[in-house]
Amino acid sequence: MHRWISRTSVALMALGFAATASAPAMANSSDVTRQGGCSHNASWKVKAKPDNGRLEVEGEVDSNVRGQTWHWRILHDGRVSMRGKATTGGRSGSFTVERRIINTRGSDRVGWRAVNRNTGETCRGGVTI
Amino acid sequence: MKQRPQPPRPGNPGTVAAARRRARNRPVLQFIAAGLVALAVLVVGTQWLSQRAATDEAVADARATTTLLARAVVQPALTRALVDEQSAALDRFDQLALKRLVVGDVLRIKIWNARGRIVYSDEARLIGHRFNLGAEERAVLLGGGSDAGLSDLTQSENRYERSFGRLLEVYTQVVVPGGEPLLFEAYYSYDTVSRRSAEVLGAFRPITVAALLLFMLLTVPLVWVLARRLGASAAERERLLMAAVEASEGERRRIARDLHDGVVQDLAGISFAASATARELADRPEVARRLEKLGSGVRHSLRALRSLLVEIYPPDLRTEGLAAALDDLVAPASAAGIEVNLHVDDTSHVRDEAVALVWRVAQEAVRNAVRHGRPTQMRVTVAVPGDLVVLLEVADNGAGFEPHTVPREGHLGLRGLRDLIVESGGRLDISSAPGEGTRVTLEVAT
Repeated sequence: MHRWISRTSVALMALGFAATASAPAMANSSDVTRQGGCSHNASWKVKAKPDNGRLEVEGEVDSNVRGQTWHWRILHDGRVSMRGKATTGGRSGSFTVERRIINTRGSDRVGWRAVNRNTGETCRGGVTI
Repeated sequence: MKQRPQPPRPGNPGTVAAARRRARNRPVLQFIAAGLVALAVLVVGTQWLSQRAATDEAVADARATTTLLARAVVQPALTRALVDEQSAALDRFDQLALKRLVVGDVLRIKIWNARGRIVYSDEARLIGHRFNLGAEERAVLLGGGSDAGLSDLTQSENRYERSFGRLLEVYTQVVVPGGEPLLFEAYYSYDTVSRRSAEVLGAFRPITVAALLLFMLLTVPLVWVLARRLGASAAERERLLMAAVEASEGERRRIARDLHDGVVQDLAGISFAASATARELADRPEVARRLEKLGSGVRHSLRALRSLLVEIYPPDLRTEGLAAALDDLVAPASAAGIEVNLHVDDTSHVRDEAVALVWRVAQEAVRNAVRHGRPTQMRVTVAVPGDLVVLLEVADNGAGFEPHTVPREGHLGLRGLRDLIVESGGRLDISSAPGEGTRVTLEVAT
């Protein structure tokens, strides 16, 4: 019984973590937005919006620390579509990347990855549109 | 001796000078008009040729640009993944295309495979769709080379280009690693062609127009000088002709005066004397009859001589009147057995030049009829309808002639008068046919 309670508690905690790590955010009818927490203290957000045969993709990392360098990647259907480097800035210590990718036939899976190689923190998120 | 009339002159000196000026200036004006026509033709022709040249040049430029883009940008970036429609590969090529291909004059690109599927286009909505490839496109896709043509914007694969207006599409072959050929198509605004045409035209037009204008500026004075010399030469010939005519007139006048004052008076005296003597010889009827016959013969000769005088030199139309002069003119015809019908309206209010012209034409026409036509009937009519024009008609039932053949000697006189008639604003018509007589009409303003 104790064992059963213990396993159930772990499962509920894991479900709660997952819910906290990747939650849908408010969006327009055509937008799809997701946000969640990174491996340490930072948070991420990714938004995709169709636009005349393309998708406007907006990826964001908010670490609350200014001057951090993050290596980011946008994945499209599981493969790296584009990559780059960005530095957090502003009062919130964040960066945002905006790119346009092809809106292929059927649904598109857009992945958002960011790694801070100094702290080892990673952010992973994505949307399907 | 009576005052004799002068022959009709072609207008007053002012009119003559104006006519000479017109004659001199006409070739110059004709040359300028021909030059302007040539200029217009040259401008239009140059525009057409330069548009063709510019179009060819613009198309050649577009082909060269397309080939360069295909070799230097597209082909190195082609991957199997792109052809297989992998999303990330499309994104990467899209970034490249928007940055390095769809720039400047290039408004759109499309990459096709041999099955008519659009592998990539910067108009992303076309990617993955299939259309029928034209024969030319398929030939280039499979065989290489390049081609160009106006886009058919009614085709569904070009539906997103309709807002661009007229487009020139150029296509060439590119090859995927592995050997699969694709067709790279680039679209250019036709405004580029038009702009290029305007540039070429702008470069050539001033040269051609300026060259022709310069040529005209140089040649017009030469033509004007030439025309002036020709005019002076013509005037000199006219002056010599007039002098010859006047000399002839003077000689005729002298002969006529001598005959009139001498022989005619003598013959008249002899005629009267013979008749008077015949009347006094009542006791010798045979001698009286012979004298009367002699007087009659002399009067006949006197009449013939007077007709000859009329022919040698015209009568004084103002003093004697046109009717009397024409009566004398047709007298020999009557004497020759021709039935002459003469009718002359009052011409006292008609200007002298017109009366003289009527007289000259009547003289020539009657003379021709008697000499060449040998008619049995002749009608000479002078009418002044409405006091506006004088109409002369000389008609006969003689042999006639073919008006279009070279005129026989004698008819030249009438044709020679035609210039005088035209210059006086009149009109001369000669209608005739072999065996159907001749009708000469003159119409001249009063």
